[in-house]
Amino acid sequence: MADFIQTLILGLALGGVLALMGAGLSLVFGVMRIVNLAHPSFIIAGAYLAYWGFRLWGIDPLVMLPVAAVILAAIGVLLYRFVFEREARSAKYSEMTVLLTFALAMVVEGALGGMFTNTQRVTSPSYATDAIFIGDVFIPTGQLYAGLASLAIIGGLALFLKYSRFGYAIRATTQNREAAELLGVNVNLVSMASFAIGIGLAGAAGALVSFVFSFFPAKHWEWIAVLMSLVVLGGMGSILGTVLAAFMLSVVAAFVGDYIGSTWSTLTFFLALFLILLLRPQGLFGEKPELA
Amino acid sequence: MKHLTALCGATALLLAGTAYAQDAAPLKIGASLPLTGNFSIAGAKHRAGYELCIDMINERGGILGRNVELVVSDNRSDPATAINQYERFINVDGVEAVYGTFSSRLSFPVANILAKNNMVHPLPAGGALRIYTQGHKNIFYFQPNAAEYVGASLAGVIRDLVPEGERPKTAAVISADDFFANGVWAGLLGEKVMDPADGSEVADLAPGYLADSGIEVVFSERWPEEGFNDWLNLANQVKRANPDLIIGLTASAEEAVQLTRALKTVRATPKMVYFSQGTQAEFLEGTGASAEGVLVHTSWHKDAPFEAVLGGQPFSNLDFVAAYQERFGEVPDEDAAIPFAVCQGIEQAILGAGSTDNAAMGEWLSARTREEPVRTILGRFNWDDRGLPADKPFLMTQWNDGELQFVYPTDEFVGVDKLSHPKNGF
Repeated sequence: MADFIQTLILGLALGGVLALMGAGLSLVFGVMRIVNLAHPSFIIAGAYLAYWGFRLWGIDPLVMLPVAAVILAAIGVLLYRFVFEREARSAKYSEMTVLLTFALAMVVEGALGGMFTNTQRVTSPSYATDAIFIGDVFIPTGQLYAGLASLAIIGGLALFLKYSRFGYAIRATTQNREAAELLGVNVNLVSMASFAIGIGLAGAAGALVSFVFSFFPAKHWEWIAVLMSLVVLGGMGSILGTVLAAFMLSVVAAFVGDYIGSTWSTLTFFLALFLILLLRPQGLFGEKPELA
Repeated sequence: MKHLTALCGATALLLAGTAYAQDAAPLKIGASLPLTGNFSIAGAKHRAGYELCIDMINERGGILGRNVELVVSDNRSDPATAINQYERFINVDGVEAVYGTFSSRLSFPVANILAKNNMVHPLPAGGALRIYTQGHKNIFYFQPNAAEYVGASLAGVIRDLVPEGERPKTAAVISADDFFANGVWAGLLGEKVMDPADGSEVADLAPGYLADSGIEVVFSERWPEEGFNDWLNLANQVKRANPDLIIGLTASAEEAVQLTRALKTVRATPKMVYFSQGTQAEFLEGTGASAEGVLVHTSWHKDAPFEAVLGGQPFSNLDFVAAYQERFGEVPDEDAAIPFAVCQGIEQAILGAGSTDNAAMGEWLSARTREEPVRTILGRFNWDDRGLPADKPFLMTQWNDGELQFVYPTDEFVGVDKLSHPKNGF
C-alpha cells in the first residue's frame, strides 16, 4: 500500500509542475488560436533567469518567479506587436503561426545558447533535493513547492478570468472572437494581453523547472510533445482541462513507470495524444469540432 | 655569435614556413557536430577541442606547410543530417580529411558513409562494439576501448581496491536506452551483442563483469533516450531494491545530474556508485556534495602526465590543460580533450603519410605499434584490426572533496589517489 501511495504522490508531484508549463500554452491557443511551438523555449528562458538570479545573487527561484514572469511577459508584448499582430491579417493565419512559432523556437534556442552557452544547468536551493518523510512514504519538497506555486498561480489566473472585466473579455474572445469584437471587445488588446500572460506563465514555469529538472537551450524540444499532449487531452484552450490532464497523465505515467517500466512512462503522454485525437478530438473540456 | 646566427636562421625558417603556410591553399578538414539538439553540450565542447588544436597547429606553421581550415556543420544531433553533411564535406566542400562526430548513435551511420568514400574515420565518441565489426578498413577509435568492455575497469576497482569483506554483493543497473549505454550494459550483464544489420552475433559477453565479480543484479531498468522526466520514481524503485552498488549508465552529464539528485531526494544509501558519464564540471555543479564518492570511467584526466606532439613539437597533456584554460577560462573535460587527441592523430597521420591521401593515412595509422604509436594527450594509441585501441585501459576516477581524482588502474602513471569507500549515501 505504501508503494501505491508513494507512486501516486510522485505522479501528482510531477503533474503540479507540468500543469503550469501547459497552462500558458493553453491560454494562448484558446484566445489566439496559436499553437505556440516556442512555448517550451520560453520556459527554458525563464529557467535561465531563475538560475542566474540564484547563482549570482543567491535569490531563491521562487522569489525569481515573478521577475521571470514579468520579463517574459514584456517579451511577449514585443513579440505580439512586432510579429504576431502582422500575421493576424494573413489568410493562412493558423498555418503561418505554426511555422512562425517553430522558427521562433529555434531563434530562442540559438539566442539562449549564445547568451548562456549549451552547458546544462540546474538551480540547487536546499529544498530541491530534500523530502518530507512520513513513515515509508516521502514527499519531495522541490516538487511540492513547485506544485503549490503552480496551483496558486493557476488559481489566481482562473479567478482573474472569471471575475475581472478583462477576464470576461478574454473568455469572450476565446469563445467567439467575431462576436466579442461585435460587442465592443478590443480583441487586439485582449490577444496581446493573453499572449503576454501566456509567455509570462512560461517564465514562471521556467523558474520552477529550474530546480526540478536540469535544462539547456535545446531541452525545449523534449517538452513540446509532452505539453501538447496535456493541452489536447484537456481540450485545446481549456486551462482547467490542461491542469487536470497534467495530473491525470503524470499519475498514469508514474504507475506505468513503476509497474511496467520506465521506458513506457514517457510513452504514456504520446499514447494519450494519439488516443484522444482518435477518440475524443475535442479533449476533456474542449468544444466538439464542427464538421465543415 | 654562433647561437645568434642559429637562432636567426631558425626564426627565418619558421617565418618562411609560416608565410608559405599562409600562401598555400588551406587544408580543409570537415567535422559534423551536434551543436544543437540533445547532444549539444558535448558537441560544443568537441568543437572547442578541434578548434583549439587546429589554431595551435596553424600557429606552429600548419601541416605540410599548409594552414588547416576546420569546416564545421551543426547536425542538430540527427543521424541523417550528419550523414548528409559528411557527404557534402567530401563531394562539395572538397575536404581532404574528416574528424568524427559525437555519440555512437551518430557515428554508426556516419562510419558507413566515410568507409564508402574511402576516408579515414577517426572517432572521438562512438564506443559501441558494433561500429567496429562492420569490416570498415580505416576506422580508428580515440578512446581506450569499446563500451562493452568498460565494465572491466569497474570490476578491477572492486577486485583490486575494495577489501574482500566490503565488496558489493548486490547491484541495481539502470541505463539510458542509448547506443553507448546499452554497450556497457551488455558487458556488465553478459549479454550477446548482435549486428543490427543482419542479426548476426558480434560477441557473446557471458557471464558478464558483474557475475564475474560475484555480484547479483537485484534491479535493472532502462529509461528512454529522450524525454524522460520521471527520475524520482526510478530512484525510488532503486532504493526499494536496496542494492550495495548502483550502476547508472547515463548517456550524458545531464542525466547523471538528474539521477544523482533523485537518488539524494529518496535517500538511497548504496555503498558504491558508478556512472558512465559525470566527469564534467557541470556534474559537480548540479550535484554538489552528492557527487562525493561517485565513480566515473573516463578516457582522459587533467593530471595524466601524457607526453604527445603537436605541430612537430613536444606537447604534453598539461600543456593542453594550460592552453585550454587560457583560451576558454575553464578547466577542460574529456569532451574537449578527446577531439583534441583526434586532431593530433590526424595531423600525425598526414605527416606520416606525407600527404592527405586517405589510403596512405589509413595505412600509416594501422601500422602503429606499442613502440611506435600515435602520441596524444590521451596517451599512446595503436589499434587492432577492428579499429579499437590495443591494450589501453579506461581510467577510473572518483569525485572526492570537489575534485575528480584518478584512482585506477594504479600502474598507469604516478599520482593515483586512494579510493574512498564506502560512499555512505548521497
